[in-house]
Amino acid sequence: MSALAAAAPAPITFERASRWYGPVIALNDVSTALLPGVTGLLGPNGAGKSTFLKLAAGQLAPSQGQVNVLGRPAWGHPELFRDVGLCPEADALWDHLTGEQFLMSLMRLAGYEEAECTRRTQAALEMVQLADARHRRCGGYSRGMRQRIKLAQALAHDPQVLLLDEPLTGMDPMSRRRVSDIIRRLAAEGRTILVSSHVLHEVESLTQRVLLIHNGRILAQGEVREIRDLLDEHPHTVTLRARDPRALARAVVDATHVVSIAFGPEPDTVTVQTARPDEFYGVLHEPALQAGVLEMYSPDEDLESVFRYLVQR
Amino acid sequence: MSAATAAAADPVAAAPPRPGPVPFLRGARVVFDLSLEAMLWSRRSVFMGLLLVVPLLFAILYRVLLAAHAPVRITPALFFGGMFGSYYIWFALPLTALFYATALVADEVEAKTITYLLTRPVRRTSILLGKFAAYLGTTLALVLPSVVLTFFVLMTRQGRRGLALGAPDLVRDLAVAALALLAYGALFTFVGVLLRWPLITGLLFLYGWEWLSILPGWAPRLTIRAWLTSMHHHTVVGEGLSQGVVQTLPVVPGLITLGTSSLLFLALAAWIFSRRQYVLDQ
Repeated sequence: MSALAAAAPAPITFERASRWYGPVIALNDVSTALLPGVTGLLGPNGAGKSTFLKLAAGQLAPSQGQVNVLGRPAWGHPELFRDVGLCPEADALWDHLTGEQFLMSLMRLAGYEEAECTRRTQAALEMVQLADARHRRCGGYSRGMRQRIKLAQALAHDPQVLLLDEPLTGMDPMSRRRVSDIIRRLAAEGRTILVSSHVLHEVESLTQRVLLIHNGRILAQGEVREIRDLLDEHPHTVTLRARDPRALARAVVDATHVVSIAFGPEPDTVTVQTARPDEFYGVLHEPALQAGVLEMYSPDEDLESVFRYLVQR
Repeated sequence: MSAATAAAADPVAAAPPRPGPVPFLRGARVVFDLSLEAMLWSRRSVFMGLLLVVPLLFAILYRVLLAAHAPVRITPALFFGGMFGSYYIWFALPLTALFYATALVADEVEAKTITYLLTRPVRRTSILLGKFAAYLGTTLALVLPSVVLTFFVLMTRQGRRGLALGAPDLVRDLAVAALALLAYGALFTFVGVLLRWPLITGLLFLYGWEWLSILPGWAPRLTIRAWLTSMHHHTVVGEGLSQGVVQTLPVVPGLITLGTSSLLFLALAAWIFSRRQYVLDQ
Protein backbone atom coordinates (compact mmCIF):
# COMPACT_ATOMS: atom_id res chain seq x y z
CA MET A 1 0.00 0.00 0.00
CA SER A 2 1.32 3.47 -0.77
CA ALA A 3 2.16 5.93 1.98
CA LEU A 4 -0.70 8.15 0.88
CA ALA A 5 -3.32 5.45 1.27
CA ALA A 6 -1.87 4.23 4.59
CA ALA A 7 -1.87 7.70 6.12
CA ALA A 8 -5.53 8.44 5.40
CA PRO A 9 -7.87 5.50 4.97
CA ALA A 10 -10.25 6.92 2.41
CA PRO A 11 -13.48 5.72 0.83
CA ILE A 12 -11.94 5.81 -2.65
CA THR A 13 -8.31 4.95 -3.33
CA PHE A 14 -6.34 4.59 -6.55
CA GLU A 15 -2.98 2.89 -6.17
CA ARG A 16 -0.75 3.15 -9.21
CA ALA A 17 -3.83 2.50 -11.31
CA SER A 18 -3.51 2.49 -15.08
CA ARG A 19 -6.02 1.70 -17.75
CA TRP A 20 -5.30 1.34 -21.41
CA TYR A 21 -7.46 0.54 -24.42
CA GLY A 22 -5.22 -1.29 -26.84
CA PRO A 23 -2.32 1.07 -27.50
CA VAL A 24 -4.10 4.10 -26.00
CA ILE A 25 -3.36 4.92 -22.35
CA ALA A 26 -6.44 6.51 -20.82
CA LEU A 27 -5.16 6.63 -17.25
CA ASN A 28 -1.51 6.42 -16.41
CA ASP A 29 -0.16 5.31 -13.03
CA VAL A 30 -2.61 7.26 -10.91
CA SER A 31 -2.40 7.22 -7.12
CA THR A 32 -4.81 9.23 -5.04
CA ALA A 33 -7.17 8.99 -2.09
CA LEU A 34 -10.54 10.72 -2.00
CA LEU A 35 -11.94 11.72 1.39
CA PRO A 36 -15.55 12.43 2.43
CA GLY A 37 -16.98 15.64 0.99
CA VAL A 38 -17.18 16.76 -2.62
CA THR A 39 -14.18 16.34 -4.88
CA GLY A 40 -14.34 17.87 -8.33
CA LEU A 41 -12.77 15.81 -11.09
CA LEU A 42 -11.77 18.36 -13.67
CA GLY A 43 -10.32 17.92 -17.09
CA PRO A 44 -11.03 18.62 -20.74
CA ASN A 45 -12.76 16.04 -22.88
CA GLY A 46 -10.52 13.03 -23.41
CA ALA A 47 -8.43 13.77 -20.33
CA GLY A 48 -9.33 10.50 -18.62
CA LYS A 49 -12.15 11.69 -16.34
CA SER A 50 -14.65 9.13 -17.54
CA THR A 51 -12.13 6.31 -17.24
CA PHE A 52 -11.29 7.46 -13.71
CA LEU A 53 -14.97 7.50 -12.78
CA LYS A 54 -15.73 4.17 -14.43
CA LEU A 55 -12.85 2.54 -12.61
CA ALA A 56 -14.19 3.90 -9.30
CA ALA A 57 -17.68 2.70 -10.25
CA GLY A 58 -16.46 -0.82 -10.98
CA GLN A 59 -17.47 -0.58 -14.62
CA LEU A 60 -13.90 -1.07 -15.77
CA ALA A 61 -11.09 -3.16 -14.35
CA PRO A 62 -7.71 -1.45 -14.03
CA SER A 63 -5.12 -2.75 -16.48
CA GLN A 64 -2.57 -2.30 -13.71
CA GLY A 65 -2.66 -1.23 -10.07
CA GLN A 66 -5.63 -1.15 -7.73
CA VAL A 67 -8.83 0.81 -7.36
CA ASN A 68 -10.58 0.32 -4.03
CA VAL A 69 -13.91 1.66 -2.87
CA LEU A 70 -14.85 1.35 0.81
CA GLY A 71 -11.89 -0.95 1.30
CA ARG A 72 -12.73 -3.44 -1.47
CA PRO A 73 -11.70 -3.65 -5.12
CA ALA A 74 -14.26 -1.73 -7.16
CA TRP A 75 -14.27 -4.27 -10.00
CA GLY A 76 -16.14 -7.53 -9.45
CA HIS A 77 -17.84 -6.71 -6.15
CA PRO A 78 -21.53 -6.01 -6.82
CA GLU A 79 -22.30 -5.85 -3.09
CA LEU A 80 -20.43 -2.52 -3.07
CA PHE A 81 -23.38 -0.97 -4.87
CA ARG A 82 -25.38 -1.04 -1.66
CA ASP A 83 -23.11 1.85 -0.66
CA VAL A 84 -22.21 3.36 -4.02
CA GLY A 85 -24.40 5.39 -6.34
CA LEU A 86 -23.50 6.28 -9.91
CA CYS A 87 -25.09 8.99 -12.02
CA PRO A 88 -23.84 8.18 -15.53
CA GLU A 89 -23.09 10.80 -18.14
CA ALA A 90 -25.08 9.14 -20.93
CA ASP A 91 -28.56 10.53 -21.45
CA ALA A 92 -30.07 7.04 -21.24
CA LEU A 93 -33.12 5.86 -19.32
CA TRP A 94 -35.70 3.11 -19.75
CA ASP A 95 -37.93 5.48 -21.66
CA HIS A 96 -41.01 3.24 -21.57
CA LEU A 97 -41.15 3.45 -17.77
CA THR A 98 -42.56 6.34 -15.75
CA GLY A 99 -40.17 8.13 -13.42
CA GLU A 100 -41.73 6.30 -10.49
CA GLN A 101 -41.50 2.88 -12.16
CA PHE A 102 -37.88 3.57 -13.09
CA LEU A 103 -36.89 4.28 -9.50
CA MET A 104 -39.05 1.49 -8.06
CA SER A 105 -37.38 -1.06 -10.34
CA LEU A 106 -33.93 0.07 -9.32
CA MET A 107 -34.85 0.06 -5.63
CA ARG A 108 -36.09 -3.52 -6.00
CA LEU A 109 -32.76 -4.35 -7.61
CA ALA A 110 -31.07 -2.79 -4.61
CA GLY A 111 -32.74 -5.47 -2.51
CA TYR A 112 -35.36 -3.49 -0.58
CA GLU A 113 -38.79 -4.76 0.38
CA GLU A 114 -41.74 -3.29 -1.51
CA ALA A 115 -42.78 -0.78 1.17
CA GLU A 116 -39.21 0.44 1.53
CA CYS A 117 -38.89 0.74 -2.26
CA THR A 118 -41.99 2.93 -2.32
CA ARG A 119 -40.76 5.08 0.55
CA ARG A 120 -37.32 5.60 -0.97
CA THR A 121 -38.75 6.24 -4.44
CA GLN A 122 -41.11 8.93 -3.17
CA ALA A 123 -38.36 10.53 -1.07
CA ALA A 124 -35.94 10.59 -4.01
CA LEU A 125 -38.57 12.00 -6.38
CA GLU A 126 -39.32 14.75 -3.91
CA MET A 127 -35.65 15.44 -3.35
CA VAL A 128 -35.08 16.10 -7.05
CA GLN A 129 -38.49 17.79 -7.34
CA LEU A 130 -39.99 15.35 -9.78
CA ALA A 131 -42.87 14.20 -7.58
CA ASP A 132 -45.41 15.91 -9.85
CA ALA A 133 -43.96 14.16 -12.90
CA ARG A 134 -43.76 10.71 -11.30
CA HIS A 135 -46.45 9.25 -13.58
CA ARG A 136 -44.96 10.61 -16.81
CA ARG A 137 -42.84 8.34 -18.95
CA CYS A 138 -39.11 9.05 -18.82
CA GLY A 139 -39.17 9.31 -22.62
CA GLY A 140 -41.24 12.48 -22.27
CA TYR A 141 -38.96 14.17 -19.73
CA SER A 142 -36.97 17.28 -20.60
CA ARG A 143 -33.18 17.15 -20.51
CA GLY A 144 -33.10 18.69 -17.05
CA MET A 145 -35.69 16.25 -15.72
CA ARG A 146 -33.74 13.33 -17.16
CA GLN A 147 -30.62 14.53 -15.39
CA ARG A 148 -32.56 14.81 -12.15
CA ILE A 149 -34.11 11.34 -12.38
CA LYS A 150 -30.60 9.96 -13.06
CA LEU A 151 -29.42 11.70 -9.92
CA ALA A 152 -32.42 10.35 -8.00
CA GLN A 153 -31.56 6.74 -8.88
CA ALA A 154 -27.98 7.33 -7.73
CA LEU A 155 -28.96 8.58 -4.30
CA ALA A 156 -32.27 6.85 -3.52
CA HIS A 157 -30.53 3.96 -1.75
CA ASP A 158 -28.68 6.37 0.53
CA PRO A 159 -25.13 5.49 -0.58
CA GLN A 160 -21.97 6.54 1.25
CA VAL A 161 -20.18 7.12 -2.04
CA LEU A 162 -21.69 9.07 -4.93
CA LEU A 163 -20.07 9.19 -8.35
CA LEU A 164 -21.57 11.85 -10.57
CA ASP A 165 -20.50 12.11 -14.20
CA GLU A 166 -21.24 15.60 -15.53
CA PRO A 167 -24.41 15.87 -13.40
CA LEU A 168 -25.23 19.48 -14.30
CA THR A 169 -24.86 19.16 -18.07
CA GLY A 170 -27.83 20.44 -20.01
CA MET A 171 -29.79 21.66 -16.99
CA ASP A 172 -31.63 24.95 -16.89
CA PRO A 173 -30.46 27.42 -14.20
CA MET A 174 -33.22 26.45 -11.75
CA SER A 175 -32.47 22.73 -11.98
CA ARG A 176 -28.77 23.47 -11.74
CA ARG A 177 -29.27 25.33 -8.52
CA ARG A 178 -31.48 22.61 -7.06
CA VAL A 179 -29.06 19.83 -7.91
CA SER A 180 -26.09 21.80 -6.61
CA ASP A 181 -27.94 22.31 -3.31
CA ILE A 182 -28.64 18.57 -3.07
CA ILE A 183 -25.01 17.67 -3.71
CA ARG A 184 -23.76 20.13 -1.13
CA ARG A 185 -26.26 18.87 1.43
CA LEU A 186 -25.29 15.24 0.86
CA ALA A 187 -21.64 16.17 1.26
CA ALA A 188 -22.41 17.96 4.51
CA GLU A 189 -23.88 14.69 5.78
CA GLY A 190 -20.45 13.08 5.42
CA ARG A 191 -20.76 11.29 2.09
CA THR A 192 -17.92 11.00 -0.37
CA ILE A 193 -18.95 12.60 -3.65
CA LEU A 194 -16.90 12.67 -6.82
CA VAL A 195 -18.23 15.07 -9.45
CA SER A 196 -16.68 15.04 -12.88
CA SER A 197 -16.96 18.08 -15.10
CA HIS A 198 -15.15 19.93 -17.84
CA VAL A 199 -16.50 23.25 -16.54
CA LEU A 200 -14.46 24.76 -13.76
CA HIS A 201 -17.22 27.07 -12.62
CA GLU A 202 -19.62 24.16 -12.15
CA VAL A 203 -17.22 22.39 -9.86
CA GLU A 204 -16.29 25.59 -8.09
CA SER A 205 -19.92 26.12 -7.15
CA LEU A 206 -19.89 22.73 -5.39
CA THR A 207 -16.47 22.43 -3.78
CA GLN A 208 -13.05 23.94 -3.32
CA ARG A 209 -11.37 20.54 -3.58
CA VAL A 210 -10.44 19.49 -7.09
CA LEU A 211 -8.50 16.82 -8.89
CA LEU A 212 -7.11 18.08 -12.18
CA ILE A 213 -6.62 15.38 -14.74
CA HIS A 214 -4.97 15.75 -18.12
CA ASN A 215 -3.70 13.21 -20.63
CA GLY A 216 -4.47 10.39 -18.20
CA ARG A 217 -2.39 11.81 -15.36
CA ILE A 218 -3.25 13.78 -12.26
CA LEU A 219 -1.91 17.22 -12.89
CA ALA A 220 -2.82 18.75 -9.55
CA GLN A 221 -4.90 17.99 -6.51
CA GLY A 222 -6.00 20.62 -4.06
CA GLU A 223 -7.82 23.91 -3.73
CA VAL A 224 -9.60 25.35 -6.71
CA ARG A 225 -8.48 28.88 -5.70
CA GLU A 226 -5.02 28.14 -6.98
CA ILE A 227 -6.23 27.97 -10.54
CA ARG A 228 -9.13 30.35 -10.12
CA ASP A 229 -7.18 33.48 -11.09
CA LEU A 230 -6.15 31.94 -14.36
CA LEU A 231 -9.75 32.19 -15.48
CA ASP A 232 -9.57 35.97 -15.57
CA GLU A 233 -7.25 35.63 -18.53
CA HIS A 234 -9.58 33.16 -20.18
CA PRO A 235 -13.20 34.38 -20.33
CA HIS A 236 -15.78 31.76 -19.47
CA THR A 237 -18.13 30.82 -22.31
CA VAL A 238 -21.76 29.87 -21.73
CA THR A 239 -24.26 28.86 -24.41
CA LEU A 240 -27.92 29.23 -23.47
CA ARG A 241 -30.89 27.86 -25.36
CA ALA A 242 -33.99 29.95 -24.71
CA ARG A 243 -37.50 30.47 -26.01
CA ASP A 244 -36.68 34.19 -26.44
CA PRO A 245 -32.91 34.48 -26.98
CA ARG A 246 -33.11 38.19 -27.90
CA ALA A 247 -34.80 39.07 -24.60
CA LEU A 248 -32.12 37.14 -22.79
CA ALA A 249 -29.35 38.97 -24.65
CA ARG A 250 -30.94 42.34 -23.86
CA ALA A 251 -31.15 41.46 -20.18
CA VAL A 252 -27.49 40.56 -19.74
CA VAL A 253 -25.75 42.80 -22.28
CA ASP A 254 -25.21 45.70 -19.86
CA ALA A 255 -23.51 43.64 -17.18
CA THR A 256 -19.93 44.85 -16.80
CA HIS A 257 -18.47 41.35 -16.64
CA VAL A 258 -19.96 40.28 -19.99
CA VAL A 259 -17.18 40.37 -22.57
CA SER A 260 -19.21 39.42 -25.63
CA ILE A 261 -22.60 38.15 -26.75
CA ALA A 262 -23.33 36.31 -29.98
CA PHE A 263 -26.42 34.59 -31.32
CA GLY A 264 -25.87 30.99 -32.28
CA PRO A 265 -24.67 28.37 -32.98
CA GLU A 266 -28.39 27.36 -33.16
CA PRO A 267 -31.23 29.81 -34.00
CA ASP A 268 -32.53 29.71 -30.41
CA THR A 269 -29.18 29.99 -28.65
CA VAL A 270 -27.07 32.84 -27.29
CA THR A 271 -23.37 32.44 -26.54
CA VAL A 272 -22.04 34.71 -23.81
CA GLN A 273 -18.43 35.25 -22.75
CA THR A 274 -17.95 36.51 -19.22
CA ALA A 275 -14.92 37.37 -17.16
CA ARG A 276 -16.76 36.72 -13.90
CA PRO A 277 -18.78 33.50 -14.07
CA ASP A 278 -19.92 33.86 -10.43
CA GLU A 279 -21.47 37.23 -11.03
CA PHE A 280 -22.90 36.17 -14.37
CA TYR A 281 -24.70 33.15 -12.90
CA GLY A 282 -25.81 35.37 -10.02
CA VAL A 283 -27.59 37.89 -12.26
CA LEU A 284 -28.82 35.26 -14.72
CA HIS A 285 -31.61 33.87 -12.56
CA GLU A 286 -34.33 36.50 -13.26
CA PRO A 287 -33.62 37.03 -17.02
CA ALA A 288 -33.44 33.27 -17.45
CA LEU A 289 -36.94 32.87 -16.07
CA GLN A 290 -38.31 35.67 -18.27
CA ALA A 291 -36.62 34.49 -21.46
CA GLY A 292 -37.50 30.85 -20.85
CA VAL A 293 -34.01 29.36 -20.73
CA LEU A 294 -34.29 25.66 -21.56
CA GLU A 295 -30.70 24.55 -21.43
CA MET A 296 -27.24 25.92 -20.75
CA TYR A 297 -23.84 24.43 -21.27
CA SER A 298 -20.20 25.46 -21.46
CA PRO A 299 -17.77 24.26 -24.04
CA ASP A 300 -14.49 23.06 -22.62
CA GLU A 301 -12.25 25.54 -24.40
CA ASP A 302 -11.95 27.62 -21.23
CA LEU A 303 -10.63 24.74 -19.23
CA GLU A 304 -8.53 23.54 -22.11
CA SER A 305 -6.68 26.86 -22.15
CA VAL A 306 -6.14 26.74 -18.40
CA PHE A 307 -4.77 23.23 -18.72
CA ARG A 308 -2.48 24.26 -21.55
CA TYR A 309 -1.17 26.99 -19.29
CA LEU A 310 -0.64 24.58 -16.40
CA VAL A 311 1.11 22.03 -18.57
CA GLN A 312 3.44 24.59 -20.08
CA ARG A 313 4.23 26.22 -16.73
CA MET B 1 -4.32 3.15 18.42
CA SER B 2 -7.17 0.98 19.72
CA ALA B 3 -9.71 -0.50 17.34
CA ALA B 4 -12.42 1.75 18.77
CA THR B 5 -10.32 4.86 18.25
CA ALA B 6 -9.45 3.77 14.74
CA ALA B 7 -13.11 3.16 13.96
CA ALA B 8 -14.10 6.54 15.32
CA ALA B 9 -11.46 8.25 13.19
CA ASP B 10 -12.49 6.41 10.07
CA PRO B 11 -16.11 6.99 9.04
CA VAL B 12 -15.98 4.06 6.64
CA ALA B 13 -14.82 1.60 9.26
CA ALA B 14 -17.35 2.98 11.72
CA ALA B 15 -20.23 2.36 9.34
CA PRO B 16 -22.35 -0.67 10.25
CA PRO B 17 -21.69 -3.74 8.11
CA ARG B 18 -24.14 -4.25 5.26
CA PRO B 19 -25.23 -7.57 3.78
CA GLY B 20 -23.80 -8.98 0.54
CA PRO B 21 -25.42 -9.02 -2.89
CA VAL B 22 -29.16 -9.39 -3.35
CA PRO B 23 -30.12 -13.12 -3.21
CA PHE B 24 -29.64 -14.77 -6.60
CA LEU B 25 -33.25 -15.69 -7.40
CA ARG B 26 -34.66 -12.48 -6.01
CA GLY B 27 -32.36 -10.42 -8.25
CA ALA B 28 -33.29 -12.58 -11.23
CA ARG B 29 -36.99 -12.11 -10.47
CA VAL B 30 -36.69 -8.31 -10.46
CA VAL B 31 -34.76 -8.35 -13.75
CA PHE B 32 -37.39 -10.73 -15.16
CA ASP B 33 -40.20 -8.32 -14.25
CA LEU B 34 -38.30 -5.37 -15.62
CA SER B 35 -37.37 -7.07 -18.90
CA LEU B 36 -40.62 -8.92 -19.61
CA GLU B 37 -42.72 -5.83 -20.19
CA ALA B 38 -40.05 -4.17 -22.31
CA MET B 39 -39.72 -7.30 -24.47
CA LEU B 40 -43.43 -8.02 -24.82
CA TRP B 41 -44.30 -4.52 -25.98
CA SER B 42 -41.27 -3.96 -28.18
CA ARG B 43 -41.30 -3.38 -31.94
CA ARG B 44 -39.57 -6.75 -32.19
CA SER B 45 -42.72 -8.40 -30.82
CA VAL B 46 -44.85 -6.74 -33.49
CA PHE B 47 -42.59 -8.15 -36.20
CA MET B 48 -42.45 -11.60 -34.64
CA GLY B 49 -46.20 -11.50 -34.08
CA LEU B 50 -46.69 -10.98 -37.82
CA LEU B 51 -44.36 -13.88 -38.51
CA LEU B 52 -46.36 -16.11 -36.20
CA VAL B 53 -49.72 -15.10 -37.67
CA VAL B 54 -48.73 -16.58 -41.07
CA PRO B 55 -49.58 -20.25 -40.17
CA LEU B 56 -52.92 -19.10 -38.82
CA LEU B 57 -53.68 -17.34 -42.10
CA PHE B 58 -52.77 -20.51 -44.02
CA ALA B 59 -55.03 -22.51 -41.72
CA ILE B 60 -57.93 -20.14 -42.36
CA LEU B 61 -57.26 -20.31 -46.11
CA TYR B 62 -57.29 -24.11 -45.89
CA ARG B 63 -60.67 -24.06 -44.15
CA VAL B 64 -62.05 -21.62 -46.74
CA LEU B 65 -60.93 -23.93 -49.56
CA LEU B 66 -62.58 -26.89 -47.83
CA ALA B 67 -65.76 -24.91 -47.35
CA ALA B 68 -65.71 -23.99 -51.03
CA HIS B 69 -65.41 -27.73 -51.85
CA ALA B 70 -62.07 -27.18 -53.54
CA PRO B 71 -60.22 -30.43 -54.36
CA VAL B 72 -57.93 -30.48 -51.28
CA ARG B 73 -56.30 -33.86 -50.72
CA ILE B 74 -54.37 -33.14 -47.55
CA THR B 75 -56.09 -33.84 -44.20
CA PRO B 76 -56.18 -31.22 -41.40
CA ALA B 77 -53.84 -33.31 -39.23
CA LEU B 78 -51.39 -33.69 -42.06
CA PHE B 79 -51.58 -29.99 -42.82
CA PHE B 80 -50.91 -29.09 -39.17
CA GLY B 81 -48.05 -31.58 -38.91
CA GLY B 82 -46.47 -30.22 -42.07
CA MET B 83 -46.91 -26.66 -40.90
CA PHE B 84 -45.31 -27.34 -37.53
CA GLY B 85 -42.46 -29.44 -38.92
CA SER B 86 -41.53 -27.08 -41.71
CA TYR B 87 -42.63 -23.55 -40.81
CA TYR B 88 -42.25 -23.54 -37.02
CA ILE B 89 -39.22 -25.81 -36.50
CA TRP B 90 -37.28 -24.77 -39.59
CA PHE B 91 -38.15 -21.10 -39.66
CA ALA B 92 -40.27 -19.32 -37.04
CA LEU B 93 -38.89 -20.79 -33.80
CA PRO B 94 -35.16 -20.38 -34.56
CA LEU B 95 -35.75 -16.89 -35.95
CA THR B 96 -37.78 -15.86 -32.91
CA ALA B 97 -35.02 -17.15 -30.64
CA LEU B 98 -32.36 -15.40 -32.71
CA PHE B 99 -34.00 -11.99 -32.65
CA TYR B 100 -34.81 -12.00 -28.93
CA ALA B 101 -31.91 -13.89 -27.37
CA THR B 102 -29.10 -12.09 -29.18
CA ALA B 103 -30.62 -8.80 -28.02
CA LEU B 104 -30.91 -9.70 -24.33
CA VAL B 105 -27.77 -7.79 -23.40
CA ALA B 106 -27.03 -6.04 -26.70
CA ASP B 107 -30.15 -3.85 -26.46
CA GLU B 108 -29.17 -2.60 -23.02
CA VAL B 109 -25.61 -1.95 -24.18
CA GLU B 110 -26.77 -0.10 -27.26
CA ALA B 111 -29.23 2.01 -25.26
CA LYS B 112 -26.54 2.58 -22.60
CA THR B 113 -28.99 1.47 -19.90
CA ILE B 114 -26.83 -1.54 -18.96
CA THR B 115 -25.10 0.76 -16.46
CA TYR B 116 -28.21 0.82 -14.27
CA LEU B 117 -28.26 -2.97 -14.05
CA LEU B 118 -24.53 -3.30 -13.45
CA THR B 119 -24.43 -0.72 -10.66
CA ARG B 120 -26.80 -2.58 -8.33
CA PRO B 121 -25.86 -5.12 -5.65
CA VAL B 122 -26.95 -7.96 -7.94
CA ARG B 123 -24.71 -10.69 -9.35
CA ARG B 124 -24.35 -10.53 -13.10
CA THR B 125 -25.34 -14.18 -13.46
CA SER B 126 -28.57 -13.29 -11.70
CA ILE B 127 -29.19 -10.49 -14.20
CA LEU B 128 -28.60 -12.81 -17.14
CA LEU B 129 -30.86 -15.51 -15.71
CA GLY B 130 -33.65 -12.96 -15.19
CA LYS B 131 -33.28 -11.73 -18.75
CA PHE B 132 -33.27 -15.26 -20.15
CA ALA B 133 -36.40 -16.11 -18.17
CA ALA B 134 -38.06 -12.99 -19.60
CA TYR B 135 -37.00 -14.10 -23.09
CA LEU B 136 -38.63 -17.51 -22.53
CA GLY B 137 -41.76 -15.90 -21.14
CA THR B 138 -42.06 -13.51 -24.06
CA THR B 139 -41.39 -16.00 -26.83
CA LEU B 140 -43.65 -18.66 -25.30
CA ALA B 141 -46.39 -16.03 -24.99
CA LEU B 142 -46.03 -15.34 -28.72
CA VAL B 143 -45.43 -18.85 -30.08
CA LEU B 144 -47.76 -21.07 -28.08
CA PRO B 145 -50.99 -19.18 -28.90
CA SER B 146 -49.98 -19.21 -32.57
CA VAL B 147 -49.54 -23.01 -32.52
CA VAL B 148 -52.73 -23.63 -30.54
CA LEU B 149 -54.88 -21.35 -32.70
CA THR B 150 -53.54 -22.88 -35.90
CA PHE B 151 -54.28 -26.34 -34.52
CA PHE B 152 -57.76 -25.30 -33.44
CA VAL B 153 -58.67 -23.74 -36.79
CA LEU B 154 -57.51 -26.85 -38.67
CA MET B 155 -58.72 -29.63 -36.41
CA THR B 156 -62.22 -28.30 -35.73
CA ARG B 157 -62.92 -29.32 -39.34
CA GLN B 158 -63.48 -32.80 -37.90
CA GLY B 159 -65.40 -31.51 -34.90
CA ARG B 160 -64.65 -32.54 -31.32
CA ARG B 161 -63.39 -35.88 -32.48
CA GLY B 162 -60.66 -34.20 -34.51
CA LEU B 163 -59.60 -32.09 -31.56
CA ALA B 164 -59.50 -35.11 -29.26
CA LEU B 165 -57.53 -37.18 -31.74
CA GLY B 166 -54.97 -34.45 -32.36
CA ALA B 167 -54.61 -33.32 -28.72
CA PRO B 168 -51.66 -35.63 -27.85
CA ASP B 169 -49.78 -34.40 -30.92
CA LEU B 170 -50.53 -30.81 -29.97
CA VAL B 171 -49.17 -31.31 -26.47
CA ARG B 172 -46.04 -32.90 -27.90
CA ASP B 173 -45.61 -30.08 -30.40
CA LEU B 174 -46.01 -27.43 -27.71
CA ALA B 175 -43.31 -29.17 -25.69
CA VAL B 176 -41.06 -29.34 -28.77
CA ALA B 177 -41.66 -25.62 -29.39
CA ALA B 178 -40.71 -24.81 -25.80
CA LEU B 179 -37.60 -26.98 -26.08
CA ALA B 180 -36.67 -25.27 -29.36
CA LEU B 181 -36.95 -21.83 -27.75
CA LEU B 182 -34.84 -23.04 -24.82
CA ALA B 183 -32.11 -24.66 -26.94
CA TYR B 184 -31.85 -21.96 -29.62
CA GLY B 185 -32.31 -19.26 -26.97
CA ALA B 186 -29.42 -20.51 -24.84
CA LEU B 187 -27.16 -20.72 -27.89
CA PHE B 188 -28.07 -17.25 -29.12
CA THR B 189 -27.76 -15.75 -25.64
CA PHE B 190 -24.20 -17.06 -25.61
CA VAL B 191 -23.57 -15.63 -29.10
CA GLY B 192 -25.15 -12.34 -27.99
CA VAL B 193 -22.84 -11.81 -25.02
CA LEU B 194 -19.78 -13.07 -26.89
CA LEU B 195 -19.97 -11.09 -30.13
CA ARG B 196 -20.61 -7.49 -30.93
CA TRP B 197 -22.71 -8.25 -34.04
CA PRO B 198 -24.38 -11.51 -33.08
CA LEU B 199 -27.26 -11.37 -35.57
CA ILE B 200 -25.11 -12.13 -38.60
CA THR B 201 -23.41 -15.04 -36.85
CA GLY B 202 -26.80 -16.34 -35.78
CA LEU B 203 -28.20 -16.17 -39.30
CA LEU B 204 -25.12 -17.96 -40.63
CA PHE B 205 -25.66 -20.67 -38.05
CA LEU B 206 -29.34 -21.08 -38.92
CA TYR B 207 -28.98 -21.01 -42.68
CA GLY B 208 -25.57 -22.63 -42.92
CA TRP B 209 -24.69 -24.97 -40.09
CA GLU B 210 -28.25 -26.19 -39.47
CA TRP B 211 -28.40 -27.64 -43.00
CA LEU B 212 -26.16 -30.41 -41.67
CA SER B 213 -29.45 -31.81 -40.38
CA ILE B 214 -30.32 -33.18 -43.81
CA LEU B 215 -27.03 -35.05 -44.27
CA PRO B 216 -26.75 -38.79 -43.66
CA GLY B 217 -24.62 -40.26 -40.88
CA TRP B 218 -23.60 -38.47 -37.67
CA ALA B 219 -23.62 -34.89 -38.91
CA PRO B 220 -27.31 -34.22 -38.05
CA ARG B 221 -26.54 -34.93 -34.38
CA LEU B 222 -24.49 -31.73 -34.38
CA THR B 223 -27.55 -29.62 -35.15
CA ILE B 224 -30.46 -28.53 -33.00
CA ARG B 225 -32.90 -28.85 -35.88
CA ALA B 226 -32.39 -32.60 -36.42
CA TRP B 227 -33.13 -33.42 -32.78
CA LEU B 228 -36.23 -31.22 -32.76
CA THR B 229 -37.53 -32.63 -36.02
CA SER B 230 -37.13 -36.13 -34.65
CA MET B 231 -39.13 -35.26 -31.55
CA HIS B 232 -41.91 -33.78 -33.63
CA HIS B 233 -43.36 -37.01 -34.80
CA HIS B 234 -46.79 -37.15 -36.32
CA THR B 235 -47.78 -40.62 -37.38
CA VAL B 236 -49.95 -39.02 -40.02
CA VAL B 237 -47.14 -36.87 -41.36
CA GLY B 238 -44.85 -39.58 -42.48
CA GLU B 239 -44.49 -37.96 -45.85
CA GLY B 240 -44.23 -34.36 -44.62
CA LEU B 241 -41.37 -32.14 -45.80
CA SER B 242 -39.24 -32.26 -42.68
CA GLN B 243 -39.85 -35.92 -42.03
CA GLY B 244 -38.86 -36.76 -45.56
CA VAL B 245 -35.44 -35.13 -45.54
CA VAL B 246 -34.24 -35.48 -41.94
CA GLN B 247 -33.38 -38.83 -40.42
CA THR B 248 -35.24 -39.72 -37.25
CA LEU B 249 -33.02 -39.64 -34.16
CA PRO B 250 -33.93 -41.20 -30.80
CA VAL B 251 -35.94 -38.96 -28.46
CA VAL B 252 -34.27 -39.52 -25.08
CA PRO B 253 -30.70 -38.78 -26.27
CA GLY B 254 -32.22 -35.75 -27.99
CA LEU B 255 -33.68 -34.48 -24.74
CA ILE B 256 -30.38 -35.06 -22.97
CA THR B 257 -28.36 -33.42 -25.76
CA LEU B 258 -30.55 -30.33 -26.04
CA GLY B 259 -30.90 -29.98 -22.26
CA THR B 260 -27.17 -30.31 -21.68
CA SER B 261 -26.22 -27.98 -24.52
CA SER B 262 -28.69 -25.37 -23.23
CA LEU B 263 -27.18 -25.50 -19.75
CA LEU B 264 -23.68 -25.36 -21.18
CA PHE B 265 -24.38 -22.35 -23.41
CA LEU B 266 -26.15 -20.53 -20.57
CA ALA B 267 -23.25 -21.22 -18.22
CA LEU B 268 -20.77 -19.93 -20.81
CA ALA B 269 -22.92 -16.86 -21.43
CA ALA B 270 -23.07 -16.16 -17.69
CA TRP B 271 -19.30 -16.59 -17.39
CA ILE B 272 -18.63 -14.12 -20.20
CA PHE B 273 -21.27 -11.65 -18.99
CA SER B 274 -19.73 -11.65 -15.52
CA ARG B 275 -16.32 -10.69 -16.84
CA ARG B 276 -17.05 -8.39 -19.72
CA GLN B 277 -16.49 -4.64 -19.40
CA TYR B 278 -19.53 -3.36 -21.25
CA VAL B 279 -18.66 0.32 -21.03
CA LEU B 280 -16.04 -0.42 -23.69
CA ASP B 281 -18.83 -1.28 -26.14
CA GLN B 282 -20.78 1.92 -25.49
